[in-house]
Amino acid sequence: MVFPECDTNYVLVLGVGNYLMGDEGAGVHVAQRLGERDLPLGVEVLDGGTGGFHLMGIFEQYEVIILVDATIDGEPAGAIRLLEPRFASDFPRSMSTHDIGLRDVVEALQITGRLPKIYLITVSAEELEPMTIKLSPAVQHSVGQIADKLHTLLWDWWRERNLASSAGETEDFLHTFA
Amino acid sequence: MSQRIVVDPITRIEGHLRVEADIQNGKITDAFSSGTMVRGIEKILRGRDPRDAWAFVGRVCGVCTTVHSLASVRAVEDALDIVIPPNAELVRNIMFGTQYIHDHVVHFYHLHALDWVDVVSALKADPKKASEIAQSISNWPKSSPGYFSDLQKRLGSFVESGQLGIFANGYWGHPAYKLPPEVNLIAVAHYLEALEWQKEIVKVHTIFGGKNPHPNYLVGGMACSIGLDDVSAINAERLAYVGQLLEDAKEFVNQVYIPDLLAIAPYYLDWGGIGGGLGNYLVYGDLGANGYRDPSAYKFPAGAILNKDLSKVHEVDMRADAEIQEFIDNSWYEYPADAKGLHPWKGETDIKYTGPKPPFEHLDTKQKYSYLKTPRWKGNAMEVGPLARVLVGYASGREDFKAVVDSTLQKLNVPAAALFSTLGRTAARGLESILVADWTLEFYNQLISNIRNGDTRMANMDKFDPAKWPAKAQGVGHTEAPRGALGHWIVIEDQKIANYQLVVPTTWNASPRDGEGKQSAYESALMNTPVAKDQEPLEILRTIHSFDPCLACAVHLYDEEGKQVSRVKVL
Repeated sequence: MVFPECDTNYVLVLGVGNYLMGDEGAGVHVAQRLGERDLPLGVEVLDGGTGGFHLMGIFEQYEVIILVDATIDGEPAGAIRLLEPRFASDFPRSMSTHDIGLRDVVEALQITGRLPKIYLITVSAEELEPMTIKLSPAVQHSVGQIADKLHTLLWDWWRERNLASSAGETEDFLHTFA
Repeated sequence: MSQRIVVDPITRIEGHLRVEADIQNGKITDAFSSGTMVRGIEKILRGRDPRDAWAFVGRVCGVCTTVHSLASVRAVEDALDIVIPPNAELVRNIMFGTQYIHDHVVHFYHLHALDWVDVVSALKADPKKASEIAQSISNWPKSSPGYFSDLQKRLGSFVESGQLGIFANGYWGHPAYKLPPEVNLIAVAHYLEALEWQKEIVKVHTIFGGKNPHPNYLVGGMACSIGLDDVSAINAERLAYVGQLLEDAKEFVNQVYIPDLLAIAPYYLDWGGIGGGLGNYLVYGDLGANGYRDPSAYKFPAGAILNKDLSKVHEVDMRADAEIQEFIDNSWYEYPADAKGLHPWKGETDIKYTGPKPPFEHLDTKQKYSYLKTPRWKGNAMEVGPLARVLVGYASGREDFKAVVDSTLQKLNVPAAALFSTLGRTAARGLESILVADWTLEFYNQLISNIRNGDTRMANMDKFDPAKWPAKAQGVGHTEAPRGALGHWIVIEDQKIANYQLVVPTTWNASPRDGEGKQSAYESALMNTPVAKDQEPLEILRTIHSFDPCLACAVHLYDEEGKQVSRVKVL
């Protein structure tokens, strides 16, 4: 897919999670970090918090959604993974507190035929600590890494799409992330 | 012989709830409701600026994203005696109404309907017959035979793909499903239409709250500026758009939600005698026609009903030390040695987990068994939520409540006693949606009229500066969240939060029993519920879902394994 005119919303970096539960809020922290930086036109950042169904209309407005969320998947704290979930059932099982959440939104978008391309970047947490808004050092480090990496990649991508005569496919997007 | 069934987690709710129920001869003889993840927002708030509390509490939950922020700013305004401008009251009420209708419709179609609607049976429906039924119950335009037949084909492909959890993971074919295939098909059609509709209505929050999810609130008013001709403010175009969204919402409630409710209910009238539970109801009240500070003009009147006695509405005082108290006899917390029940202004949140180490098979329900505290009003276990509000409105003699309740009882040909039930709870949610849709438009028209008359004030910043605050202050803020009475209690000392306690609706309803062994609403409502198939406890889901549980704010949770479990053990 060719990168569209610059005034179109194209990519949304959507950080989700519960800010009140330590590492569970990693996605929100990434959104906050990235939101403070210059980004190409057509790229937006949203702190989705524990948005659930409220996010459905937002998903529909973009071609590509880069979700960032915490997960407990048995990996050491701070481990970063890039997934390309096609169905709600592809989402890692133990994602966060938002039960009526992303899976349902993704499923609903599938039913209505409006599912955008989704990339999911997960940050592994070992323990969700309630009663704190602080991140563990390992996750804190990964949050910075993800924000930096996304910043670089989004600009690279933008340049490539706008300068190269033969535009690539969106499927290639983020291929150098991991 | 009795069996213990464990349903953990209860699906299609926000948050993590575990229910254990003992079953004998096909009926529930005892039930235990447990919130299995800790809550701790109170600890995060201590020492912070009270003016920021709304932003933190708004993060508690993704479902009722605004209700906590609303209760929070009201608590601070109460403590500091801040009177907000009428427009700010109206905008808060409009956002509240939006939240309600969104929440109730989503609950009915996406969280609760599949307890009553058999998706797979809809594949057997005759689209022509479905069309006739749909046209007989409503003027909603999408009702042609072709519409239903196309939809049926789509549905078939969803079910076949097996990829969609909502259509794959049901107790389809369970004997407790009673609807004819055509009614099932209509309900599934509206399930899908509601998905499309719900994403529009939340735009009201984006317009007034600046963003969604987690819209902005402000101590002293609302953080939105009105300028009819100003492109960057809430201008005439934005206001007209809000008006359209509210009209659409009203139409969806009256042409889709309510007709479906009335089409489904006649097949489940036995549920008008199941799941009643406590018979005690508590409402703090909200939606002031004359502002929040004048409870006498609340659209949702405050009050308490005891023992299903609709002839008497008791007054409720949220400030009185002896009225609302939280107990921890069966909750994983620790209180100071001499304390029994604590009023929220004196509330403590010291967690002390003494349950089994997860993963475990069963909770030891003879010991403490939940992270939820047990709130009581004058010692009574109380149910909160739509049924409580509708009953208190009805018992207060309000004509608007009487009109919707009486006409529904008449249409279904059931006595008033049927209100005290699972079906009554589900119906009450629909009935109050009719009222809220009308009231929200009233508030909207009032706002437009104020603006036309030149009043664009949105905030009172006279006391925003902490230098003007007393050294010590305490306040309480309440609202009627979609799930029920919500209260925030705050103590401010030296410009900082010294104590902050939330008593949330699901804590009233889902809490463990108290020190005297008295059950709370969920446990009580499950008593005597028939369970046809212990491996597929659909009936438990019906009653629990009728309360619209939202555990995210009652407890903060995560789903350790994420698996839906319903285990059965013979005791």
